[in-house]
Amino acid sequence: MATAVHLEEITKRFPGVVANDDVDLEVERGTVHALLGENGAGKTTLMNVLYGLYEPTSGRVRLDDEVKSFDSPRDAIDAGVGMIHQHFMLVDPMTVTENITLGNEPRKWGGLAVDREAAREAVVELSARYGFDVDPDAPVEDVSVGEQQRVEILKALYRGADVLILDEPTAVLTPQEVEELFGVIEELTAQGKTIIFITHKLGEAMRAADEITVLRDGRKVGTVAADATTREELAELMVGREVLLDVDREPAQAGEVVASAADIVVEDERGVRAVDDVSFEVRAGEILGIAGVDGNGQAPLVEALTGIETPDAGEIRFLDEDVTSASRRERIASGMAYIPEDRQERGLVMDFGLIENALLGSQHSQEFGPGGRIDWPATREHAEAIIDEYDVRPPDPEAGAESLSGGNQQKFIVGREFERDPKLVVASHPTRGVDVGSIEFIHERLLELRRQGVAVLLVSSKLEEVQGLSDRLAVMYEGEFSGVVDPADTTEEELGLLMAGEQPDSVDERIDSGTEQTAAADATGGEGA
Amino acid sequence: MSAADRARTVLTRLVEASATERVLISTAALVLSILIGTAIVLVAGRMTTCAATDAVYYLGTGFCYDPVVVFDRLFLGALGEPFSGNWSPDGQFAVTLRETTLLVFTGLSVAVAFRAGIFNIGPQVQMVVGAMATAVAVLWASSFVSGALGTVLLIPFGVLVGAVFGGLYGTLPGLLKAYADANEVITTIMLNFIATGVTLYLVSGPFKDPGSAANQTVPLPEFARFPSLLFGSRQDFSLVAFAIGILAIGGLYYVIEHTAFGYDVRTSGIQPEAAEYGGVDAAKTVVASLTLSGALGGVAGAMYVMMILGTFQTGLPSYGFDGITVSILAGNNPLGVGVAALLFGILKSGTTVVQFATDVPPQLVGVLRGLIILFVAMPEFFRLLGRRLSPSGPERNPVATDGGRREGETDE
Repeated sequence: MATAVHLEEITKRFPGVVANDDVDLEVERGTVHALLGENGAGKTTLMNVLYGLYEPTSGRVRLDDEVKSFDSPRDAIDAGVGMIHQHFMLVDPMTVTENITLGNEPRKWGGLAVDREAAREAVVELSARYGFDVDPDAPVEDVSVGEQQRVEILKALYRGADVLILDEPTAVLTPQEVEELFGVIEELTAQGKTIIFITHKLGEAMRAADEITVLRDGRKVGTVAADATTREELAELMVGREVLLDVDREPAQAGEVVASAADIVVEDERGVRAVDDVSFEVRAGEILGIAGVDGNGQAPLVEALTGIETPDAGEIRFLDEDVTSASRRERIASGMAYIPEDRQERGLVMDFGLIENALLGSQHSQEFGPGGRIDWPATREHAEAIIDEYDVRPPDPEAGAESLSGGNQQKFIVGREFERDPKLVVASHPTRGVDVGSIEFIHERLLELRRQGVAVLLVSSKLEEVQGLSDRLAVMYEGEFSGVVDPADTTEEELGLLMAGEQPDSVDERIDSGTEQTAAADATGGEGA
Repeated sequence: MSAADRARTVLTRLVEASATERVLISTAALVLSILIGTAIVLVAGRMTTCAATDAVYYLGTGFCYDPVVVFDRLFLGALGEPFSGNWSPDGQFAVTLRETTLLVFTGLSVAVAFRAGIFNIGPQVQMVVGAMATAVAVLWASSFVSGALGTVLLIPFGVLVGAVFGGLYGTLPGLLKAYADANEVITTIMLNFIATGVTLYLVSGPFKDPGSAANQTVPLPEFARFPSLLFGSRQDFSLVAFAIGILAIGGLYYVIEHTAFGYDVRTSGIQPEAAEYGGVDAAKTVVASLTLSGALGGVAGAMYVMMILGTFQTGLPSYGFDGITVSILAGNNPLGVGVAALLFGILKSGTTVVQFATDVPPQLVGVLRGLIILFVAMPEFFRLLGRRLSPSGPERNPVATDGGRREGETDE
């Protein structure tokens, strides 16, 4: 078979940083090639070189054996390379057709007007050819995320792409939508298109790709055929050592109820219930997981619990006290640790160094801010202890938070929060965008806290994570708990259905519906006690 | 850690904070602005007509204004002729320090609000309110005490009154912002008009000095004014006020860098979401920092009444608005405010010297001042220039972008 894309000895340097070091990548026409690696391994940089966003420091890009040099994505598009970014570049109020043809509309009246009919026909024909299910006349804001992604793909195809780069295409999709996407990819390759997709998820690479190239620290560590490798081998290539994919954990020793929420309602700015009557309890020594696709109310629920927002209705109790209207500061002081979803917005002050960041949340504590005066030497020691204990790199307390990689930023936050000696830890997507090594580390720490009798509320959209760590697992869909299940007893497919708001028959028996959720939670939580 | 050790650490840290870079940048800015200013003065001098004897000749061409004299007067004049051998503390240098003192307070006022992420346009009006309150209160109190005891009691009393009233006039926009979500730029501008109107009414009516044609209060008795100590009384400058200014700089630096309140202020200024996460009460911080900001503006007003004018009059000079420039020049850093206020003070006081010594129109001197401030205020431009000119020069520690390792870092 012919080689569609050949990147030769690509090196890309940024001032002081080598993002890609002598990387070779060969992709056969009509195949799916996964680019696998941890965050910060250089995957996106390499693809940005192919897409003309970056000029490589050295090395060549060949398409169909012809050396190309792209000054901008426009050149790349003209040469038949399309890229679908993680965040869609669509105009929400415009229709699917308008979005797909945007910038390349068929013209009439001597180029003065857009030929809407021709545009629509072109879109209908294109989607029929690849078996895509899209409504050409629907405004993009009204269609599902999976459909928006197909619109992005159609946009690239409309512009004549032969090579499609997908950057973390599954991050925003439900498990069912992921399956649909893989179907789309199969159809595309069957018709001769070449797909490169960027991912850090082993399972997806194995499932969808023909060949997998693994990058680590900007270098290529190997290319393997998907059907001739194992998850363990890939994980090892990614991190350079063996990773425990299965978490070892003993049964929960659940104790007293540490925190509880009763009938919580949070309305968004439009008055729509983002959290609709949710109740739960978290006990000492157990991990309560909340799974669900992002945007189903997890964030406002967590914010209500941790005191960032005040719920519109309901009661939150923490350590036998009503804290529904207690301030964030009071909640921190009484032992509530919180690993926020957005570490660069909330978790860290990016312009501060690590010493000052170690103080965030403790500035009024007796330990670091007695009498309103900050004890900087003690804070510095605290920062050094976190860096040491949680393996934050570079181990420099003076380093600016923004100079750390995502994984190290997260380790620092995790360290700061765990060192508060908390009674409750609320961990919101604690391993999102974090490399495999740090993920494992954070998981171990969470289990360690559980062993010590700390109550943990874990919110994550990674099924493996919530399933592997939680003692009880609630699934959130459109602001409600669509079910509370025993994770050891539930399959990924069943969870996927719950995440999509459907009730799998097999799970139905194990969960109670509506307002009885607390009771269900109690029942399952009680098992381990 | 002993106090001396601590002081040394602070000093080293100050010095190490890329001091060379800062000095280089400031020098470059000054030199460049003077070069451009020179060109402007020459061109302007070429376009004016003057007697041949008044002209200066460069390269055989006559110019009406001599840039060397202009810049000489602007700087050396403001410093009171330090090289002439007859420098006197009572001269122009005292004027420079007097201006500096007031600018320190208005500069700090703007800086503290800026650090909290609030753009306080109000120091000017907080100064007016503080000045009016101080004048009235000190006049009233001066009937109970007199002499040296009066000075010792009335000076702190007057400053306090200025701070309290200026502070209250800062609390108002603070409350409006914190609890009614009203934009502080709008409210401080609006409150400006209100205070101007109310003070005009008060000083032209109830508190008017019947013996004066102007809208002003009865002059303060001499003992209720800042003592001139060492510098003589000719230029209305008091070393005491200057010392209070230095204390305010140090105090605000301490508050911002070493207290929990300062940490709250800085965090909410840079990243409000992170501040919220860290348990900072946004509303309280807004009100508190605007109150503190207003209090500093009010002290500037008290100083103006008790050091310079000796009475309250409508139409105060625009120290408050200049404070915005001073604070921006200083990067909103209290220590920097001291330096920026001095530079600004020199330029202000030097301008009058230039007007006395040359025929250069004041507007042109204003242009030169503006140029200097403009260039000093854009350090990024010079950093960029520096990097262009020295590709091998010391590079700043780069941010590790997504996807890479630092050069030279070994693999694990």
